Order: sequence, then C-alpha cells, then structure tokens
Amino acid sequence: MNKKLGFLGFGTLFGFALSRVGASEYDLIVGMFVGEDYTLVGVIVTAIIVGTIGMQVLKKSKQRTISGEPLNISYKKLGPWSLLGAAIFGLGWGISGACPGTVLAQLGEGKLYGFFTFAGMIFGTYIYARLKEKHESL
Amino acid sequence: MITAFIQSVFVEPWPFWAGGIIIGLLVPLLYYFYNTALGVSTGYGNLVKIILPSRHLKWIKSKFSETWSWRVYFIGGIILGGFISSTLAGSPGLTAEMGRFTNTLQWPALGNGVYFFAGGILLGLGARIARGCTSGHSIHGIANLHISSILATILFVIGGITAANIIRITLLGGSWL
Repeated sequence: MNKKLGFLGFGTLFGFALSRVGASEYDLIVGMFVGEDYTLVGVIVTAIIVGTIGMQVLKKSKQRTISGEPLNISYKKLGPWSLLGAAIFGLGWGISGACPGTVLAQLGEGKLYGFFTFAGMIFGTYIYARLKEKHESL
Repeated sequence: MITAFIQSVFVEPWPFWAGGIIIGLLVPLLYYFYNTALGVSTGYGNLVKIILPSRHLKWIKSKFSETWSWRVYFIGGIILGGFISSTLAGSPGLTAEMGRFTNTLQWPALGNGVYFFAGGILLGLGARIARGCTSGHSIHGIANLHISSILATILFVIGGITAANIIRITLLGGSWL
C-alpha cells in the first residue's frame, strides 16, 4: 500500500478516535490536569497497554514488517535540554487544552480557537528551527 | 441492532477504552506496515517548510528534505478524522467555543486568540526540544519501554498540572472540584 495514502487513512482513524473519545475537548484535557475527569488518563493508559502488548507480539513473533524488513524501532534520545523542553510542552498542553495531535482533530471539528493553537505550534516549531541554527545542542 | 451499533460508533461519545485500543494499535500497525514510529509533532517541521521562509535553516534543510512527506498526509488525515467524527455526530460545524475557558471568561476574540496562540508556541517549541510529543513519547515511546519517553512524559504531566491549575485559580475562578 502506498505509504502516503496509508498514513492518510491511519491519520483519519487516529483523528476520528481522538474526537469520539473527547480528546479534542478543552474541558477533558484541562479536567485531567486539575483532577476533575480522568477519561483521558484512561484513554492514554489503555493505549499504552495495547501498544506495549502489540509491540511485544510483533517483536516476539515476526520481528519483521509486512514487506520482510527487520523492525527498526525508533528510540527518541533526549538532548541536554529535553526535559526542560518537555516541561515547556506540558505548560502549553495545560494552557491550550490541546496537544499536537488533538489540535488537528479540533481543526477538523471546526473549533475556531484550535486554529490559533495550531498556528502557534507551527510558529513554535519555527522558533526551534531558528534557535537550532546557533545552538546545536537544543 | 445495526442502528444501535451505528449510533454508538458514530454519534455517541466512545468509552475511554475504545479510543485507547484503537490509538494503541496504531503503534504496532505502523511498524508492521511501514516500519515507522507513531508521531505527530515532527510533521510541524514540514508545515514550517511549506508555510514560512525557512529553507535556508540547517535543521529544516537536513531533516525535511522531502517537503510533502508521509507526515503531512498523517496530519491531513487527523484533521479529516475530526471532521468526519463531528459531522456524523451532527455537530454544528464552526464554533468559537472552547469549553470552560470561553464559557467562563467572555474575553474578546483577540484575547482568546492570543492566549491559544501562546499555548501553541510552547507546545511547538517544547515538543522539538523534548524530541517528541504525546503520541511519539507518551504512547509510542512508553509502549516500547523507552526510559527517555517515560522521563519526558513525567515532565509533560508536571507542566500540564502546573499550567492548568495556575489558569484555573487565576483566570477561571478556581471553582472546579
């Protein structure tokens, strides 16, 4: 299957699931952080459990992709500033009530302020690209 | 029977586990079909390259040689999925509502816009410095038992709890709970 079309399809499934389960709702994301509503904690924990089992099955049984390539698991190595970056990300998560995936579902749903979060994310990524120019370790 | 099924899939909100199972399955499925890690935020680098004059920047040049990579299609798919979900559920379409924030505060549109734009900047910048976001670290990384992703997720959550509670107390009247 063509990779780009495949990702369009899997992305659609992802966005549909995020939206159906309420991950694109400001109140549920902020509600999770203030201890009011743990629906999304349930979603994330279930996803981690299912993903862990799925990866174990894939690693133990096949160790290969559908086309026979050996699995190439991506390890996201942290840089010296990464934990600070993660805290900055967390602040943005709690302020906007969205993350990089769920803001896209908000766009599809027609939430107008989601466009501002989305535009901010693009600009924040641009700031990173500019900073990275001079500070290689970022 | 069939109507009830269609109703529960396309109209009613899902129980948490249904969304969790589908999102979790994406991790092994994307490896099985494409040998690729689930992740969204790196794709914003593709969007920077498409939208902003950035082709001269080293990071953009080296990491995003293919401008319209699968990441852009993945992003497009998530938007489409949100659209299909809200349309089939009969949602009203465009809305200026953002939950308790817009319901409680009644700020002018520009104020709301600046607020969410600022939150977005922190998300975009923070995700890159952290090397990933909720999908790449918290779901993909932890499902692969990567220590770096567990650490990043702990900091994501600390940041989220801090910001959400500060906003709740200072702006939203502290009335929740």
